[in-house]
Amino acid sequence: MLNAMKTILKTEKLSKYFHQPQTFQVLKELTFEVKEGEFLALIGKSGSGKSTLLYVLSTMDTDYEGALEIKGEKLTGKSQNELAAFRNEHIGFVFQFHYLLPEFSALQNVMLPALKLGRCTKEEIEAKAYNNLDLLGLKPQALKKASQLSGGQQQRVAIARALINDPAVIMGDEPTGNLDSKNTDVVFGIFKELAKERGQTIIAVTHDDDFAANCDRIIEMSDGALIR
Amino acid sequence: MISHTNQQIAWVHLTSRLRQTFVAILGVTFGISMYVFMNSFMTGVNDLQSDLVFTTISHVRIYNDVPRQKENILKKNFQEAKAIHIRNEKQILYQEGIKNANEITDFLEKQPEVIATTPQVNVSVSFRSGSNNINGILSGVEAEGEDRLFNMTNNMREGKWSQLKYQANGLIIGNVMAEEMNLKVGDNLTVQTFDGISRNYTIIGIFQTYTKTIDRTKAYLNIASVRQLISKNRGYATDIQVNIKNFDATSLFSNKLTALLPFQVEKWQAANEQLDAANTIRGILALAVSLTILIVAGFGIYNIMNMTVNEKIKEIAILKAMGFGGNDIVQIFLLQAIAIGFIGGLTGLLLGFGLANVIDQIPFKLASFNTLPMAYRAKDYLLGFAFGMLITGFAGYLPARKASKVDPVSIIRG
Repeated sequence: MLNAMKTILKTEKLSKYFHQPQTFQVLKELTFEVKEGEFLALIGKSGSGKSTLLYVLSTMDTDYEGALEIKGEKLTGKSQNELAAFRNEHIGFVFQFHYLLPEFSALQNVMLPALKLGRCTKEEIEAKAYNNLDLLGLKPQALKKASQLSGGQQQRVAIARALINDPAVIMGDEPTGNLDSKNTDVVFGIFKELAKERGQTIIAVTHDDDFAANCDRIIEMSDGALIR
Repeated sequence: MISHTNQQIAWVHLTSRLRQTFVAILGVTFGISMYVFMNSFMTGVNDLQSDLVFTTISHVRIYNDVPRQKENILKKNFQEAKAIHIRNEKQILYQEGIKNANEITDFLEKQPEVIATTPQVNVSVSFRSGSNNINGILSGVEAEGEDRLFNMTNNMREGKWSQLKYQANGLIIGNVMAEEMNLKVGDNLTVQTFDGISRNYTIIGIFQTYTKTIDRTKAYLNIASVRQLISKNRGYATDIQVNIKNFDATSLFSNKLTALLPFQVEKWQAANEQLDAANTIRGILALAVSLTILIVAGFGIYNIMNMTVNEKIKEIAILKAMGFGGNDIVQIFLLQAIAIGFIGGLTGLLLGFGLANVIDQIPFKLASFNTLPMAYRAKDYLLGFAFGMLITGFAGYLPARKASKVDPVSIIRG
C-alpha cells in the first residue's frame, strides 16, 4: 500500500562533516525517500548522526553536501529567509525540551506560526488553536502562561503548535524523551492518528524501543550510515 | 511592512521585563531632558548676553573716517611702467562726520531689513565738577530714536529719559560717574571739549547700563545742544546707529550698505568679536555635552538590548525554527528599541521642559537679571527628540542584527 503513495521527502547522497575538533564525517552519502503519511522512527546509538540528520532534514542546518527535496521542492541552496518561510508552512517541530515562549500563553504559543503564515484570519486561527489544544486535552490550560505549565503539558502544547499550519511533515527530536509512560502513550496516539487520518508524515528521532517498534518504518543509523 | 505578529512579540518582551524596560526608558528620558535643558539654558544665556550688549551698541554703526586703504593716486595717471616713489604719504579727511544725516536715515529707514535708526553726535570731552575730572564721551542724541534702539527708558535710575528732548541744557550721566563725582539730579556739571570750549549743564537724570566703562564715562545731551557746543550745522552727525530685524545677519546688510554709502559701515560682530566667539563656543559646548549624554543613553540601550538578546536566544531559535525569518527577528528587537526611544523621548521632552521651568525660577541676582536665563525654542525640543530616536534606533539595530544571525540548530541542540 505504502509504495503506491507519493514521495514527500527525498535525499540524495547527503553528507555532512564536523570540523571541530577535527574533520569528521557525520553523515555518509545518505540516499532515501519518505512517503506521504508514513510514521518514521530514526533510531541509533548516541553519536550515530540521527539527530544531525533530522536537523538537516528540517532545513535549519544548511551546512551539508548532497540534495534535499521536500514536497517536490528542491531546498538545497535556498536562502535562510526562503527556508524559514518554507518551514513555517510545511514543517512542524517538536523538540525534546518543549521550547515554548515562556512569556506567552499556551494559546498564543500555538497561534504564532499561523499568525506568521497569515493565511487565515486571527479568529479562524484562534478557533483552530483551541481545537488543537482540546485534541491534546489542554483546553483548560489554554490561557495559562507557558512557564506555568508542567513538562508534559508543555510538550503537548509544543505538539499543538507543530500542527497549527497543517504541515506536510512533522519532525520530532525525542518528542517523548521527557515524558512519563502515560503521556508518551498520549503523544504516540496523536502521532499515529495524524499519520493515518490526515496523511501527515512524521519523522521522529527516538531512543525508546517500544515507541520505535510501533512505527510504520524504522531507519537505524550507525556511524553516519543507514543500516536498516 | 511591520507585521502585527512581530509587534505583538515585541510588546510581550517589553512588558514582561518591566524593570529593564523602565531603566532603558529612564536612560533616554534623562539624555533627552538634559539635551533640551542644556540647549534652553545656553540659548537663554546667549539671548541675554545679546540683550545686554544691545543696550549700548547697535547692530550696525555708520560713521565717517579716514579710508582704511591707502590708495596710490599716481598709479591712475601713470599707467606705463615707471618708478614711482611716494614718501611718507598721509590720508586726509576732506569731510568730517556725516553732514546730511537726515537724508541718510531716511534712506536707511526705507531698507526692508531696518527696524530703527538714529543719528548721534559723539564728542570726546572732559567732565569737571570742582576738583574732580573725568575724560569721557558726550553723546548728543535724539531722545525718541535712542530709546527705540537702546531702550534707554529702562536703563534710567533717576529722572526721565524723555526730558532730554525738552531740556536743552539737561544732561543725563551714568551712575558710576555720579557716584565718583558726588553728583545728583539737579546739580551742575561742566563739560569741556578738546577745542577748549566749556559749558555748564544741569543733571536731569542718571542711567545704569551695567557696563561699567559706559556708566562711568558717558553722558547724554540733546543732539541739537551738542551740535551747538561744537559749532556744527543741523543735520550733522558723527554716527548713525541702525538696528535690523535679524542681528545675526548683519554681514549681508553691511556689505550692501558699504556699496551704497560713502561711509564706513561696522557690524556689531566686528566691534565685539569676543562676544560672537563666546556665543559660538557656548553653542558648541551645549551640543557636545548634550550629545555625550545622549550617546551614553544610547550605550545603555545597546547594553540592555544586548542582554535581552542573550537572554532570549532560545526563544529566537524557536521563532526561527517555526519559520520567522531574519527580518522578523530584526523587527521584533528594533521595535522594542524604538518603543523605548519614543516613550523615553516624550518623557524626556516633558522633563526637560519642567527642569528648564524650575531653573528659570531660581533667583539669580547679577547685573540686570533676577533669575537664570532660559529660552524655550521648539527647535531644541524637535532636535532633542530626533537625536534621541536616531541614537536609540542605532543602539537597538546592532543587537537586533546580532539576534537575526542566531543559528537555531546550535542553540536547540545545545
